[in-house]
Amino acid sequence: MKLRRKQAQAERAVDPGSGFEVTGQTLDRRTFLRRSGLALGGAALSGALPLTLVHKVRAAGESAPRQGIETETRRSVCTHCSVGCGVIAEIQNGVWVGQEPDFESPINLGAHCAKGASVREHGSGDRRLKYPMELVDGKWKRISWDAAIESIGNKLLEIREKSGPDSLFFCGSSKASNEGSYLQRKFAAFWGSNNVDHQARICHSTTVAGVANTWGYGAMTNSYNDMHNCKSMLVCGSNAAEAHPVAMQHILRGKENGAKIIVVDPRFTRTAAHAHQYIRLRPGSDTAFIWGLLWHIFENGWEDKEYIRQRVYGMDEVRGEVKKWDPKTTEDVTGVPEKDMFQCAKTLAENRPGTIVWCMGHTQHHTGNNNTRADCILQLALGNVGLSGGGANIFRGHDNVQGATDVGPNCHTLPGYYGLAEGAWQHWARVWDVDYDWLRNRFDMSQQYDDGSGKLAYTMNIEGMPVSRWIDGILEDKANLSQKDNYHAIMFQGHAVNSQTRGVEMKQALESDRLELVVISDPYPTHLAVMSERKNGTFLLPTCTQFETYGSVTASNRSLQWREQIIEPLFESKPDHEILYLLAKKLGFADQMFKHIEVHDNQPSIEDVLREINRGTWTIGYTGQSPERLKEHAKYRSTFNTTTLRAEGGPLDGEYYGLPWPCWGTPDIKHPGTPILYDPSKPVAEGGLVFRARFGVERDGVSLLAEDSYSVGSEIKDGYPEFTADMLKQLGWWDDLVDQEKTAAEGRNWKTDLSGGIQRVAIKHGCAPFGNAKARCVVWQFPDPVPVHREPLYTPRYDLVEKYPTYEDRKSFWRLPTLYASVQATDYSKNFPLVFISGRLTEYEGGGAETRSNIWLAELQQHMFVEINPADANDRGIRDGDWVWLDGPGRDTQYPGPTRGGRIKVMAMVTPRVGRGVVWTPFHFGGWFEGQDLESRYPPETAPIVRGEACNTATTYGYDSVTQMQETKATLCQVQRA
Amino acid sequence: MNSRKGLWMALPAIALFLTGCYDEPKATFFEPGEYQGRPDPLVSLEASAQQQQKLQERLKTVQMDR
Amino acid sequence: MARMKFLCDAERCIECNACVVACKNENDVPWGVNRRRVITLRDGEPGEKSISVACMHCTDAPCAAVCPVDCFYTTADGIVLWSKDLCIGCGYCFYACPFGAPQFPQEQAFGVRGKMDKCTFCAGGPLPDNSDEEYAEYGSNRIAEGKLPLCAEMCATKALLGGDGDVIADIYRKRILKRGGSSQSWGWETAYPAG
Repeated sequence: MKLRRKQAQAERAVDPGSGFEVTGQTLDRRTFLRRSGLALGGAALSGALPLTLVHKVRAAGESAPRQGIETETRRSVCTHCSVGCGVIAEIQNGVWVGQEPDFESPINLGAHCAKGASVREHGSGDRRLKYPMELVDGKWKRISWDAAIESIGNKLLEIREKSGPDSLFFCGSSKASNEGSYLQRKFAAFWGSNNVDHQARICHSTTVAGVANTWGYGAMTNSYNDMHNCKSMLVCGSNAAEAHPVAMQHILRGKENGAKIIVVDPRFTRTAAHAHQYIRLRPGSDTAFIWGLLWHIFENGWEDKEYIRQRVYGMDEVRGEVKKWDPKTTEDVTGVPEKDMFQCAKTLAENRPGTIVWCMGHTQHHTGNNNTRADCILQLALGNVGLSGGGANIFRGHDNVQGATDVGPNCHTLPGYYGLAEGAWQHWARVWDVDYDWLRNRFDMSQQYDDGSGKLAYTMNIEGMPVSRWIDGILEDKANLSQKDNYHAIMFQGHAVNSQTRGVEMKQALESDRLELVVISDPYPTHLAVMSERKNGTFLLPTCTQFETYGSVTASNRSLQWREQIIEPLFESKPDHEILYLLAKKLGFADQMFKHIEVHDNQPSIEDVLREINRGTWTIGYTGQSPERLKEHAKYRSTFNTTTLRAEGGPLDGEYYGLPWPCWGTPDIKHPGTPILYDPSKPVAEGGLVFRARFGVERDGVSLLAEDSYSVGSEIKDGYPEFTADMLKQLGWWDDLVDQEKTAAEGRNWKTDLSGGIQRVAIKHGCAPFGNAKARCVVWQFPDPVPVHREPLYTPRYDLVEKYPTYEDRKSFWRLPTLYASVQATDYSKNFPLVFISGRLTEYEGGGAETRSNIWLAELQQHMFVEINPADANDRGIRDGDWVWLDGPGRDTQYPGPTRGGRIKVMAMVTPRVGRGVVWTPFHFGGWFEGQDLESRYPPETAPIVRGEACNTATTYGYDSVTQMQETKATLCQVQRA
Repeated sequence: MNSRKGLWMALPAIALFLTGCYDEPKATFFEPGEYQGRPDPLVSLEASAQQQQKLQERLKTVQMDR
Repeated sequence: MARMKFLCDAERCIECNACVVACKNENDVPWGVNRRRVITLRDGEPGEKSISVACMHCTDAPCAAVCPVDCFYTTADGIVLWSKDLCIGCGYCFYACPFGAPQFPQEQAFGVRGKMDKCTFCAGGPLPDNSDEEYAEYGSNRIAEGKLPLCAEMCATKALLGGDGDVIADIYRKRILKRGGSSQSWGWETAYPAG
């Protein structure tokens, strides 16, 4: 959305090169007439000469298609969001000259959003990092790759020697391919630390934890395409129209098929504009809202009792909690009147199957895991899970956040959610063909530390410090850390920093003497390179975008797609995996790390990496998606039905597009993939599934296994536990295994049998390898076994804190002291009365360095801004377009001492989109700090075209009680005219 | 009766007078003129039924919900 | 003979700007010139609607009617094109156009208005089809390749349709029927509840 009133005012355009303000933007008649006088006057434009435009205007010759030259077509997948739109690139002589719609793709049918339509610009990338650079006395110096790897490697070895391997925070990326992100995790493992993470932490970590602990896997259960079949859609804290635009194609088709759409959001978003019902909600009251809905559902007996009996455990305990959420209480806490709640509940009850969609609005809270579980419980109560048109359709963020979460750099697990216990390391040591003891000794074995539950463990078995807290890894007193020493080095490969909270403290951390080394491996310098006044010890490594390499990527619906390489790496950039190989070589573990991965000319073979993933990731069924099968799916993608994603005829008849995981067993059993999770209406061999038996067989005398519910064709006509070798023997199915399988499977289970035989045989008999259990509404290991409402740490309703307080402070949580009650002990709402939330714009993505450097996208969103309600604006004398200061409250705690609030200078957009008492900013901007444009700190010609304040300069402390997700969707601020 | 007769006599006179009020329309009509530029090969291409068929197919393949 | 038309289905438009960027991309349109724009009414309020607008390729094109140098011509299927060689940048077509389609890049010093630029329906201009010269002056000529404008082909939600007007009318009519004939505007069902 542009910064303009209803009656379109002229935008003041920013010239991309000079930084001057140049008029001449979208000419509508009114503005044209106003300016035509000026143009004729000429002199009036002094100081804003558009001459510079002539030079900066992209010469049509640079990457223009030429007649008579052979044009090649290559197919990739967009690098921007998890929908996974196909991208067709036209290339002439290695230059990317055009894009075509990939209408054969069943996922986007040729469609794109602004970002997808702009990816060709990656092929020229004027603002890209071109060569490695080092910051020396505040100036960027060009260096060679060899020199860079040497310096960085030496420094890392020095730090390792002095402080141990845990002193490096290596942040990987959700934008790396499956192979790239898997190598990032492997790199950290071979370096000897779990201090590795990626964007999922601050995006859907609470989803994965909450959902996986409810019914087995923490991913989107159905797909965007399946939404054609919904009868209702409850969209909470998700703005698909701006964050997943092409998903709206499927949502609107569902709407045209009759689906009723309800949007619940503090803002009247573009998605809400297409809804049947819009509900404005107080930020941070999400669990209360869901319980308020369930109150009506239970009150009227609308729940699906038979479904609950067969497939759900613990609903009665939920009933107990929901009883407290009568309409009056709910209205007090959420702001939603009874009649709106009732109408919503009724719509959902009367229109089944229905789906629930949630995104950051539900996840980014310190009680995020409560919200996500409440969402699941709502769907279980309605009987909406495990069928077409239903499910929990969680829209993931970055293009490969799903893949990176599944097999990539997570601090709390090895690839495939195996965890970090000894058994998990032994499994992967076998897959990697390295000696377990050798691997173990890569870690700090000098002593054990508090693992967060009061017991002692080695750091090898303790979750690392997540990306939401890396600054505390530097600032915190090392005696309080569950590792030897602070961070002395950080390396960010493909991750921005302006998406993490507490920007003021981040600057302090970057300027701290403790931080000896900063390495940025990215196509662009990012906000990290300029936000602090660091003078030395910083390296920039030009890294390729996903279009300059190839590999597989996993979309939100769990489908894997194969990307072809479109162009050669630009300038001196290198792909993630090559950089990791070079570093690993310098650090001395490349031989072990790439033991079964062929390396040619410093390039690890991507296919070999995927095959290694296939050999080891049995838990979530990443075993059947071999490179060959994925390439075939790309080739014959036009044969897949666009609602069911099933191939109808053609060479892949019966398979599901992208072999959505779990794709069980080895590639040769040719499992078709599982399009809808937990759907018992099909045999497991054809993509059917049941709830995973993950939490035990019984609890308090009640069976946790499914009762009278099983998938079609199942030989066990009831619930059953997960499959082990012993269980196969008991069932008399052991001899179905061939000899090689028997050798591998002996004494193992469906997750650790590297032959895949146990899985194959279980499926042969119609059973799911992971068991058949009930979903559980009570997660007894979590701080709140049944989800409850707790006020945000920074709340405008301080009167509610007494009844709904936050947690007690924790001494050691993910290796760090983590505060709750001591932050909430102060009432900030007097001086900071506005609720401050942030979110996405269509044109930009993530930290924004890449998209704000794209000339076509930059033109569409030229200013950082804050949306403020007309009433709040009038109270402060603010008019549309005014510059304002947005001040954050900081933190007033005794430990670790108070911090001042950050402040950002932005333009005000006065709009009724936000309710009274709430302000909203986009989070994509960077390159400014507290009113100062940092353009001069960028290496020459790499400053993004559009720069602005990072909203997180002003955000605050607050972390989820299970995953350390940051609380960005409910904090406070004050706004005043600048 | 006289007034009636007078009216009937005056009528042709009035009519005659009114003819003076008739004017050739003074507005100048501008018709779009003949195009003065170079010929565009696309023009003849677009006139062909084959091309129209091709574009129709393309529309159905790419832009319809399938 | 078919007539080439654009239709933007406001019930599906989500203001994603893919059409705007696709056009920029395909035709190398410089900063400051927007052949296609998305207009939003009632921004941020119930009833918000967006629609993508570019040249409408009018049957009786006012731009062609007023041009003092007669630089416009129309193909048999209704695509309105023009010659930049003849264009004197007077801006009359801009005055005449009800949609503000003609754009004038300010490429010279003192903001002197350059040659008129507008949506070509991705049909290039009066130069050999798909030649380098045609691309440099007018942008892509997809029509000559048997393809349709990229804005319509890349629309995120298939709101924007571009091509044979009869086929488009058919597609749109089917959508209306599917939607039950009523406007999907927010609040419609509050105002006119069923039953």
